[in-house]
Amino acid sequence: MKKLSIILVAVGISCFFLISHALAQPKPIKLGTAIPTSTVIGQEMEKAMRLAIKELNKAGGALGRPIELVVVDDEMKPEKGAAAIEKLATLDKVDIFIGGMASGVHMAQIPILRKYKPVTVWLGAASHKCEQALEGCDWYFHLHTWDYEQGAQQRLGWEDISKKQSGMKIEKNFFAYEEGGFGAASFEAIKSVWMGEYKIVGESFKSAQVGGGDYRTLLRHAKDWKPDAFHWIGYEADAMPIMEQAKEINFSPPVFVGAPPMWPPKFAKEPLANAVCFYTAWSHSLKAPASIRFLEAYTKEYGQPPINYVGPLSYSNVYIAVEGIKRAGTLEKEALISALEKTKYESPLGDVITFKPSKVIKHQGNISMKISQYQNGQEHILWPLNLATTQIMYPLPSWEKR
Amino acid sequence: MVKLSEKLRQPNYRIAVVSIFVGALLAYWKPYVLIEGIQRAGLYAAIALPMALLMGVVGIVNLAHGDFMMLGAYFAYWVSVYGGVDPLLAIVPALAFFFLFGCIVYLGPFKRILQAPELNQILLAFGLMIVLVQSANLLWTSRFIKISLPYVSASTTVGSLTFGTFEFVYVVAAVTVLVGLQLFLKKTTWGQAALAVGQNPRGAKVVGIDVDRTHLIIFSVSIAIIGAMGALFLARHSISPFIGFPFTLRAFCLIAMAGIGNLTAILWVSLVLGLSENFVLSFFGYAGWADLIYFVLIITVIMIKSRQRQVK
Repeated sequence: MKKLSIILVAVGISCFFLISHALAQPKPIKLGTAIPTSTVIGQEMEKAMRLAIKELNKAGGALGRPIELVVVDDEMKPEKGAAAIEKLATLDKVDIFIGGMASGVHMAQIPILRKYKPVTVWLGAASHKCEQALEGCDWYFHLHTWDYEQGAQQRLGWEDISKKQSGMKIEKNFFAYEEGGFGAASFEAIKSVWMGEYKIVGESFKSAQVGGGDYRTLLRHAKDWKPDAFHWIGYEADAMPIMEQAKEINFSPPVFVGAPPMWPPKFAKEPLANAVCFYTAWSHSLKAPASIRFLEAYTKEYGQPPINYVGPLSYSNVYIAVEGIKRAGTLEKEALISALEKTKYESPLGDVITFKPSKVIKHQGNISMKISQYQNGQEHILWPLNLATTQIMYPLPSWEKR
Repeated sequence: MVKLSEKLRQPNYRIAVVSIFVGALLAYWKPYVLIEGIQRAGLYAAIALPMALLMGVVGIVNLAHGDFMMLGAYFAYWVSVYGGVDPLLAIVPALAFFFLFGCIVYLGPFKRILQAPELNQILLAFGLMIVLVQSANLLWTSRFIKISLPYVSASTTVGSLTFGTFEFVYVVAAVTVLVGLQLFLKKTTWGQAALAVGQNPRGAKVVGIDVDRTHLIIFSVSIAIIGAMGALFLARHSISPFIGFPFTLRAFCLIAMAGIGNLTAILWVSLVLGLSENFVLSFFGYAGWADLIYFVLIITVIMIKSRQRQVK
């Protein structure tokens, strides 16, 4: 009996210490994100976010509390994305929303976000339709450039590049865009910016991602039109087949531009990729100190470099949110919004990110688009000219010379 | 002359004559529509033929058909990457591997469901499709894979027209599969047994044919062919775990148009579909309409067939 009493007392004391220790631990600040972790791009985002959180926690977290990332897989499906926001807001009770990816998914999430009005620093979704749906949401901060901003930056970039390159013209532009929301909305936005001064023709195609993959007729239409620049807006799955089929029908426009969200692994090394231009917010060849630091840290952590710009963008996303919290000194909504408005973050993307009003919303990040080109197996920045690592390879070499 | 008019009463011959006429017109107007339409038709037919065999003999609507092709493509990818060989050479091991895989799938779930109502069979095939897709997603992730092979962009120039030549491999594949299956069905014991089982399973059983084993053989042959097609598909296309279903739908549509069990007609209706799609695609700005073609064709065929039944 005496023995049992001693054991019970010991257990009681242990429990007391364990509970009091747990209670004494500061409650973590929760960053909630809905990203497609079942896809490679979603996994890339999560890895970069976790790297940022690891670094921040190592430096003491924020407000004396550790930072915790709560991730829900949106499976790139609108209904799952909306449910993920509902879960993060009600069950997980996250302090701030970050991340996000596809515009189609975000359209379904916006009504839920509007219901709870959480402080949100959203990373993805480029469609202007999302922006229109967010009118009046002053608690919403957006990082990715809107599609029409991308169109304007691309136009400016090509104007600068063509001025620098003697004999280069970009008067006639053929746009091939995938028929889904991403391609069609992007083309619509680009057209609104380019039309008037430039000749623009666009034709849709069925992406290999959804069972398409035969681009030959489209490429023949482009070939017949003789454009100064051929642009395609599609997915990773379309990249190699488009090049192969362009070669097949001997279509070799002076400028060949691709705009998928990400390129296939090792695409740069393909002979067919030589002189292909593309748009990105970040490049492995970027010489900005923050970019070099990020690239080293990411490669050290995961044993390989990030696949594209979503890595540094996701990393920046976490830092911007946490630095906002630190600046506010509280998680109180108004203070946090006010602190985020003062953001001035030196991002690995090569930009010092601040928030300014865009066409509709009040808080839009100023991430700049880069025009890059694959040259002899390496990616090089062509524009902005101050970040350029080389000159454009112009015109596209003929297929026989590859 | 009389013989020709008699032959023209058969749908296959009628479709063939119309196809030849349309083909000649296209060759004159836009030759690339004809060439690329034939290439496209070859791909469709090569994919649809094994499904048609399965539906004709065993009577199963294999909704996972395209997903077996997807697995075949990944199999060829592995053989190519780890074996260091051209993915087209993976056709031979793929035939053997997928024949065995087909045996396992048949002896596992499918055998038990053959006597069940058709809805159960469809649900099983649908479930299998999800299992295959998600397994592939776990093994290879959802990221698209494309092997770069210089010969897939090989082309030739005739006059002012430059066109690709690699996709004729699909035409060769379709014809080979068709001829091979016809020979198998007509010249071998198992093939003749399969024909008998396809026409009347109960009667076949009465005369001593092992119906269950025939089903097993046909199921496995069908899976072996579509698995091997994966290697051909990989050479030209980007692959991911989700590429299969659109091709299952097209194959199903072709079988419905050709008539269940009519393997030769698959070739002709594929040609109709391939040429029609390319014809629509050739008009600038109308690419989106090409996808409607197979719906239009299937509705037209169903209407014609139901009218023919009413007349009878």
